[in-house]
Amino acid sequence: MTSLLGLSIFGVDWQDLKPFIVTGLAFGGVYALSGVGLVVLYRATGVLNLAFGAIGAAGALIAYYLIMHTGWPHWLAFTICVLTGGVINLLYGMVIGPAFARRDPLVKMMGTLGLALILLGIMNWRAPIGGAFARFLTLPSSPHHYQIAGTSVSLTQIIAIGLAFAITAGVTVFLRVTKLGTAMRALANDREISATLGVPVRRVEAAAWFGSGIVCGMAGLLLPDLLVSLDESALTYLVISSLAAALIGRLRSLWMTLAGGLAVGLLQAVLTPYYRASPISSVSSYRSAAPFVLAIIALLYMNRRRVVAVSRTTY
Amino acid sequence: MSEAPAAEGRAWARPEVHIDRRMVISAAVAVGLILFALLGLPALFGTDWITTFTGVTIYSIVALGFGLLYGRVGLISLGQVALLAIGVWTTTRLSYATSIPFPLLLIIVGAIVMVIGVLVGLTAVRLSGLYLALITLMFAGATQIVLSVIDFPNGGHGFTGHTAVPPLTGLAGVRRPAIATGETGYYRYVVIVTAILFLVALVHVASKPGRAWASIRESEPAALAAGVNITLYKLWAFALASFLTGVAGCLLAALNGVSRAINFQTQDSLTLAATSLIGGIFSLWGAFIAGIFNQLLPFLFQTQWNVDFNFLLVVFGAGLLQVLLTAPGGLIDQFPKDMANLGRLITGKVPVTRQAVCGIGSILALIVGIALLATVTPVVGVIVVILSPVLAVYATS
Repeated sequence: MTSLLGLSIFGVDWQDLKPFIVTGLAFGGVYALSGVGLVVLYRATGVLNLAFGAIGAAGALIAYYLIMHTGWPHWLAFTICVLTGGVINLLYGMVIGPAFARRDPLVKMMGTLGLALILLGIMNWRAPIGGAFARFLTLPSSPHHYQIAGTSVSLTQIIAIGLAFAITAGVTVFLRVTKLGTAMRALANDREISATLGVPVRRVEAAAWFGSGIVCGMAGLLLPDLLVSLDESALTYLVISSLAAALIGRLRSLWMTLAGGLAVGLLQAVLTPYYRASPISSVSSYRSAAPFVLAIIALLYMNRRRVVAVSRTTY
Repeated sequence: MSEAPAAEGRAWARPEVHIDRRMVISAAVAVGLILFALLGLPALFGTDWITTFTGVTIYSIVALGFGLLYGRVGLISLGQVALLAIGVWTTTRLSYATSIPFPLLLIIVGAIVMVIGVLVGLTAVRLSGLYLALITLMFAGATQIVLSVIDFPNGGHGFTGHTAVPPLTGLAGVRRPAIATGETGYYRYVVIVTAILFLVALVHVASKPGRAWASIRESEPAALAAGVNITLYKLWAFALASFLTGVAGCLLAALNGVSRAINFQTQDSLTLAATSLIGGIFSLWGAFIAGIFNQLLPFLFQTQWNVDFNFLLVVFGAGLLQVLLTAPGGLIDQFPKDMANLGRLITGKVPVTRQAVCGIGSILALIVGIALLATVTPVVGVIVVILSPVLAVYATS
């Protein structure tokens, strides 16, 4: 077990840890990506979208059926997957969204839980999990492997990590430079004043819903590949891991969300090889709880100075 | 003598008790229903139905806990099924390890879950609204992971009490009270315990804690200014709700005999929140509707109507949106109102407006949709059910 370098961390060889670091960063990239999508939508519209995972799963399932049953080219199916995310999000934001506009953020979030349940129900009905074979949605980039720092990295993993950084940087620049981005930041500060100053609220919100939905679609495309199989329930509840990233970013900072997402993914994966006898083996089996624990710590830290919760509950 | 003005000065001090006709009717209906549940239902239905009714009753206690927290105090907890699972786990562990009589076990498990619930609730002193919902959701997620690792006790040794090869004693499962080992007997036992718990909740709501909770719900700064001890009453609400959930967990453990981790998922905490809101969180009756949505409908769909269980998720989602948009009081409050409105519309006592028609249409779409799912083709049912929140949007705009 001991390598020539002899570097071992808590009883696990450094060389054995490397693949898990890569997997963790790739998952973390998708969490971060989704987290950024969640934060942008939350800032612009006040909606914390619990249906994020379900929407991504819907896109992935559509892509899967297009590839398996109609023989459409892969790139077209993947484009449709990403667009499906955008369209479902936009439809919800335009049809149901305005009715919630003046409600409490909590009620807005519970509304998206309704959307998540509807989508999950329809997906489980039309495309039940289990049965004879698992579904695979493999990206054409997955068979390409590269040797980086002595470990094998697939192109999909590189794309996941790269996309997280690219989207975070892109959205940051977009919010700072463009007119639409400025309008979104204005809405995040104060919806009423922005409307008074002539910001087209509905149109800006629509853009936020659509953009965030596109990110949903991307996550929905990447996750089944990284998870190996396409399981809509697992995808739906992966929104919780992304929420952890968004909460580490205090639902505000995009770069902190990126860091949070990577940290969540990394912690989850790196604990994997510790199931063998080692000082922290007992922690290893609980590694899936990493996002929740990090989110709880982040929430408590965020609110450490509050004495009284002053928001009035509206139903 | 000197104490009287101080008491008057507090806005939330004890008001005079009025017993009006509605309360008398309500109490009479409650007593009638309990008697019917105890004597009528077991005579009318077979064993599988009775087991389902036991489930309905138990989950209505869990929904009551959710409703007390959200409807009365304005604190949302998305982790109630996680607490229920902790109750079931504790019961199973204690049942294998000791021979405590069942009524005592109910109270002990209730107390243990109460302590855990208060620890979770400690965060609620600082968090509210969205953040409280999220932290309880994360608690539910973490609990699910821990539960899936340690699994339910099956007669093994050590803290977790779980072994890969369970001893013969483990196959027997959690024991039921000696006086109620059969399905019908246990059902009656559960109904009586539930009636007592609802009474406990009612007493709380109707007295000083209830008024303190209402003032916190309406405005925390105002409650603070009026001299309400916010920390105490928030924790009190969490303690009560968790105690109820713990007792429900104990009842559920004995109903299941052998429980499985797969039956307590994070998703179940979310559907419980959805069904509680659909039933109605401001009325204790709403908790029963929630229990029916949560336990009776899956039973009807799966074993009686032979319809795909997943349609229920669509119904829960659409119902949740419908209730959030137009009916904050849930079906228990809105359905009678809308039916009365429908009568007035038909007889021409009120003018036909888009809002009125859409509001009634929205609630009818939900109920007709469920009926269509069961009888006609599922596709039509799903479309009608999804129409419900869309109509609700037009009822509000």
